[in-house]
Amino acid sequence: MSEEKKYKEMGIARFFARYPELTGYSSPQKALYQTIRELVENSLDAIDGHEEGRQVALPLIKVVIEEVAIVHDEEGKKVMCRVTAEDNGVGVPPTVIANAFAKVLYSSKYVTKQTRGMYGIGVKAAVMYSQATGGSGVDVISTTSSLEDVYWRRLKIDLEKNEPIVLGTGSWRKQGSWRGTRVSMTMECDWPRARQKIIEYFQKTSIIAPYVQMLFLTPEKELYVFPKRAEKIPDPPREAKPHPHGVDVETFKLMLRETKARTFKQFLMKEFQSVGEKSARAIIREAKKRIKDKDISGDISPADLLQASDGSLAAIVDIMKTLRFQPPKSKYLSPLGEDLVKASLISTFNPEWADAIRRSPRSYQGHPFIVELGMAYGGHIEPMNEPLLLRYANKVPLLSAEKEDVSYKVMMGVDWKQYKVTFPAPLVILVHVVSTKIPYKSMGKESISEVPEIEQEIRYGLLELGRRLREYLSEKERREEAMNRALAISKYLPEIARGLKILEKEPRSWTPLEPGEERDLLEDLIKLVSRHVHLRDQQGEEVVRKILRVK
Amino acid sequence: MDKVDAEARKRAAAILREKLIPLIKDLKAGEPLKLVIPKRTLSNTMLDPEKGILILKDEKLERHLLDAGEARRFMQTILMASIIYQALVENEYPTIRDLYYRGKHTLQYRDLEGKVREENTWDEQQESDAVLRDIEVMTNLLREEMLILSKEKGKMVGDMRIRSGPDVIDLSKLGHGAYAIESTPDFIEFLDYNAEFVLVVEKDAVFQQLHRIGFWRQYKCLLITGAGQPDRATRRLVRRLNEELGLPVYVLTDSDPYGWNIYSVFKVGSITLSYESERLATPKARFLGVSMTDIFGDKKKKPYLTEEERKNFIIKAKDEDIKRAQDLQKYSWFQTPKWKKEIDLFLEKRAKLEIEALVGKGLKFLAYKYLPEKIQTGDWIE
Ligand SMILES: Nc1ncnc2c1ncn2[C@@H]1O[C@H](COP(=O)(O)OP(=O)(O)OP(=O)(O)O)[C@@H](O)[C@H]1O
Ligand SMILES: [Mg+2]
Repeated sequence: MSEEKKYKEMGIARFFARYPELTGYSSPQKALYQTIRELVENSLDAIDGHEEGRQVALPLIKVVIEEVAIVHDEEGKKVMCRVTAEDNGVGVPPTVIANAFAKVLYSSKYVTKQTRGMYGIGVKAAVMYSQATGGSGVDVISTTSSLEDVYWRRLKIDLEKNEPIVLGTGSWRKQGSWRGTRVSMTMECDWPRARQKIIEYFQKTSIIAPYVQMLFLTPEKELYVFPKRAEKIPDPPREAKPHPHGVDVETFKLMLRETKARTFKQFLMKEFQSVGEKSARAIIREAKKRIKDKDISGDISPADLLQASDGSLAAIVDIMKTLRFQPPKSKYLSPLGEDLVKASLISTFNPEWADAIRRSPRSYQGHPFIVELGMAYGGHIEPMNEPLLLRYANKVPLLSAEKEDVSYKVMMGVDWKQYKVTFPAPLVILVHVVSTKIPYKSMGKESISEVPEIEQEIRYGLLELGRRLREYLSEKERREEAMNRALAISKYLPEIARGLKILEKEPRSWTPLEPGEERDLLEDLIKLVSRHVHLRDQQGEEVVRKILRVK
Repeated sequence: MDKVDAEARKRAAAILREKLIPLIKDLKAGEPLKLVIPKRTLSNTMLDPEKGILILKDEKLERHLLDAGEARRFMQTILMASIIYQALVENEYPTIRDLYYRGKHTLQYRDLEGKVREENTWDEQQESDAVLRDIEVMTNLLREEMLILSKEKGKMVGDMRIRSGPDVIDLSKLGHGAYAIESTPDFIEFLDYNAEFVLVVEKDAVFQQLHRIGFWRQYKCLLITGAGQPDRATRRLVRRLNEELGLPVYVLTDSDPYGWNIYSVFKVGSITLSYESERLATPKARFLGVSMTDIFGDKKKKPYLTEEERKNFIIKAKDEDIKRAQDLQKYSWFQTPKWKKEIDLFLEKRAKLEIEALVGKGLKFLAYKYLPEKIQTGDWIE
């Protein structure tokens, strides 16, 4: 065998099919969870991506897992599941269905925009796993608001060419007003083992997407309902132009290739945020000084600039990273919002107290981010040895590797005693980081790195919520004290009223006390005590009367 | 109903009202309610050098309705005052036990969770007794003056006629029995008598023996016993005999710290109840014996007991006797030279003696030798 023969190029689809663990498909158990996750997240993106004014009244996601067959082959027993996910999101135009679902690295989300998906691999990895374990292709049914027909495609992926294989097509007239997407595929699965994590995933997802109703039907035909608990749907995330601090050389080249601008200067001003006339000139001036292999001016065309060496282009990117610009704009981000976070915590945990806070936008390395935090205390929450931490990134729950997460680290660094919380305590903390780029620790997207800016925002947010909790608890303590005091005194009032009334009656005209004769004194006593029990909300009298209402 | 009684009722009822009606005024004015009560603590007690009795200093405590820790006692005080007041106007004579039962009932209320809970106005008689004492100091009225009865324990015989209620009683014509000193000795009227002193004996048995042997007739005295710790009525009567009739009072007790304490109660009052001393104590009461020098003798005096008798009659003092003696030493009225000698001798000999021992030597010895001789020679301690 000659030396050259060993070298071979591998197609991207073949590559991912070969290494399923890279995308989370290393076992039937993990594969099932991962498939659910990819489908639900695509559906949520499709719901969030609603056009202005076109959102549906009840955003809905239905997921069904059915165990359809038990196959015996050389390797033993295999259980096959059919997984179906349906949403009423924006839908997929018929022309792109095939690529979107059967061409790896095809995505509508390769833009600087806060979406759950970002790689263009998600659903395809599931399709490939389905294909590898005996599935007969993915069925996609979809339509959009503006279409009159509903389209069906049955697809497989050609692993060598990374192209869709269309196994079936069809279309029919829309009936009713449904729009959205329904995706269905069959694969080997291990529901009993995946079950717990899948349910946890739904629960946590529902917390961060309270404006969506989710239905989940298990193979045992058990229906889980995660009801919609908030009216307001957050504004859809908008596409942002990259910030000069946030581009790398590859992206920069891609942008030069795709831009419609005719000059370098125009390119800078049009394709980047926070770059105006002045900063564009500053970049060009610096570039002129640093780049030797090419004559740089504001007037050269992007295509011309692409001819420069990689080193020179890297120098430009470097210049952009070091110059000062307006910070990246956060208006492209779509956090859940304080109200929704709070409402969601309340409806999920039924706590006695909950609050949420949204920190001001900031940026790290040219990427804008916002941290929002929620805290819930008491009520139906079980006391635990440490706070229950719910972590989210761009509205996706992070389920594993909790202890590596920046939020966990910050949370454990807080001296909770200072906030009147001693563990075991019924405390839930929610941390949600939204950004056009989440700094995940690994490809697994399970934990967020300790980026100082993010860490600081989480800390400040937690401390602020801690202060609010402390205030609530102190107020509650004060209140309880006042209530106990009211109780300790009020119970004696009828007896005191009777005694005083007897003493008030003169010996000359003495008659024994009639029942109720002391009413006037009792009323005065009630008023007196209520006035001196310090309850902030003027309920003193009500409290006293309640104590005395025994008949 | 007799007049003295009726007058007393009127007065007590008026004072009770006068003390408590201001609370209703305060209440109508929306003022926080409080009771002001002289403190009944040792630190607020002192020996009045002129009168020679224990009295309360003027430290007062305030009991606030709006203080959660005091509300219960506040309620109890009002409750007790109202029961006493009602008994006064309805012409009743409750005992302290009656007061306890009349006031004891169950209060119902809802706790903060809304559950109905119950609590008694008071549980033990100790509680209601303490409240009664509060009312006594607050109104400056003794229970007797509020026509509250206690168990009669004290007895008296002697050549004397008294009026009690509508009846005249001849205290010399009671056979082997004796007059049971009534709960309200203030209403007794002394009519006439033929007596030169009062002899108070600690023990009922010794009282009976001296009565039967005719001691009071022979030596012209009024014979009284409190049968152990004297009750208030006995003390009050002794005080009146001393104060109003000018009769000297001699006290005969065991020769031990317990006996000394009984003498002390007659003389200066009790520390826990010093507010009553003003009316109950007899500062001029004399401790006749049995004294330590009666037993052991001293330079000037031959002991009443022989060496042999001492050996037989003396009891070894217990640790608690010693401790009690040391406590008594701290009180100023036990710091006179004679008392110092008495107590020091006790602590040195660690020995005590019961009066019965003297009777053991012969009742006649006690009645015809010991007592007359001691009185005649002025061998007492004041
Ligand atoms: N339920 C759906 N509704 C609307 N469009 C969808 C739906 N599912 C998939 N798509 C489209 O298909 C594309 C590919 O989806 P896929 O999950 O493979 O990649 P992605 O979501 O873009 O990124 P990631 O790999 O991070 O999931 C999406 O970008 C989206 O345009
Ligand atoms: Mg996706």
